[in-house]
Amino acid sequence: MLITPEDVQKIILAYKRYSTYQFDDYSEKSFTRRVEKILIDYKLDIPSYINRLRSDKEFLEQSMKDITVNTTELFRDPKIWHTLKFRVLPRYSEQDSINIWHAGCSTGQEVYSLMILLNEMDLLEKANIYASDINEDVLEVARSGEYKYRFNLDYLENYNQVIKKNPYNFDEFKDVPFEKYFDVDKSKDRMKAKSFLRQKPLFRKQNLVAQNNVFYTKFDLILCRNVLIYFNYELQNKTIDFFHSLLFNKGSLVLGVHESMLGPIASKYIKKGIYYIKK
Amino acid sequence: MNDKIIVIGGSAGSFQIITKILSELPKKFPYPIFLCLHRLKHVRTGFIEALTIKSNLNVIEPEDKVHIKSGNIYLAPANYHMYLELGNIISLSTEPAVNHSRPAIDLTFSSAAFNYKTKVVGIILSGANRDGANGIADVHKEGGITIAQSLEECQVRTMPEAAINATEIDYVYTSDEIISYLLKL
Ligand SMILES: C[S@@+](CC[C@H](N)C(=O)[O-])C[C@H]1O[C@@H](n2cnc3c(N)ncnc32)[C@H](O)[C@@H]1O
Repeated sequence: MLITPEDVQKIILAYKRYSTYQFDDYSEKSFTRRVEKILIDYKLDIPSYINRLRSDKEFLEQSMKDITVNTTELFRDPKIWHTLKFRVLPRYSEQDSINIWHAGCSTGQEVYSLMILLNEMDLLEKANIYASDINEDVLEVARSGEYKYRFNLDYLENYNQVIKKNPYNFDEFKDVPFEKYFDVDKSKDRMKAKSFLRQKPLFRKQNLVAQNNVFYTKFDLILCRNVLIYFNYELQNKTIDFFHSLLFNKGSLVLGVHESMLGPIASKYIKKGIYYIKK
Repeated sequence: MNDKIIVIGGSAGSFQIITKILSELPKKFPYPIFLCLHRLKHVRTGFIEALTIKSNLNVIEPEDKVHIKSGNIYLAPANYHMYLELGNIISLSTEPAVNHSRPAIDLTFSSAAFNYKTKVVGIILSGANRDGANGIADVHKEGGITIAQSLEECQVRTMPEAAINATEIDYVYTSDEIISYLLKL
């Protein structure tokens, strides 16, 4: 570690003073590492960092984005997608509409994955898709639906596992080409989601710490995966409580594979293996 | 509680040593152990089972923000960094790979050193890259005990060699010596 906890406190205070960003309740270790990276990348020390935050609005916004960790993949963790396909989404399939919110959607791969799954289940049309993140740059990428093709080819195998195969019935095989959903240009190493997918979601900037509902609706399903790991225990509980207030009765909450409800808030949900239902 | 915190890092060639260590530790081993092992990306399942079979202790891939309990073995989950936080808590993160690795041994070791100082025992086993060298240097800097697997015994010596070059290593031990050291703690 290059900096002390006191330094970190000073930085947190400066963001609070000069913006609406509150990092008090972020996980300490990963936050500290991100701040250290900013110090190195911009060649700053603690006083000059604070100075820039005070005087340079653009730097403030950019550094906030640098603090966020935006790793994501299409169909990351197939087990969750199987659960969504066979356990979660069928709960709402008879409704006239299904409201879905991706909180902390990053560059949108999770959003496109779910839309593909919904389409294969003939549910896309009645779904309302909302997605948000604190970082506007990743939302811009999410809106464009355009990604590197060879970024990490794991997702193709995961796509096959989730969309083509059925883990409960090995004989079943649905040959759905990936190109049904993405225009792929291997020579340019690009792929772009088809327009019927791109035009569907509403992407908006939202800060989970501020707890404002930027979509003015309630949800049947909230996905918030690998976002809460950046929050401490208290903020995790507060956020899960916030989700509770925005779910319809019997609405579902899906967290990341290594996340769970640890506090008293758990009593407001029924745990169903790897997802949760609002009591 | 938590008089000692044991952190173990390894990659290529360390799997057998780890299972050997785990099989020799008694059910009542009084300290928590953190394992940060590089594994092939595709070997996501089955790994923990393989470790559990031989172990008398509980091997778990921790969920984010769980409390550390003595006698548990915490295995860094595939594709997540594993940090030790103040207040005896584990936290996970998906920030970019460090030393081409996620989980990165450096991060687990450095965070352990930072919070647990002299209580830390850091052990670097066989492995094919330099991950862990900075982390074990931090363990030494904070007054913890540093151990590297003996180079003769290692299948791939790059990792313990880097550790030995990076800092003062208290003991260079064979796997049997590592086991008897842990049993005497
Ligand atoms: C690791 S990504 C997770 C992406 C996706 N859900 C997945 O699991 O693949 C975490 C995202 O959370 C966002 N984030 C961090 N703090 C946030 C906050 N306070 N409010 C909203 N989003 C936040 C980051 O910008 C980042 O894009």
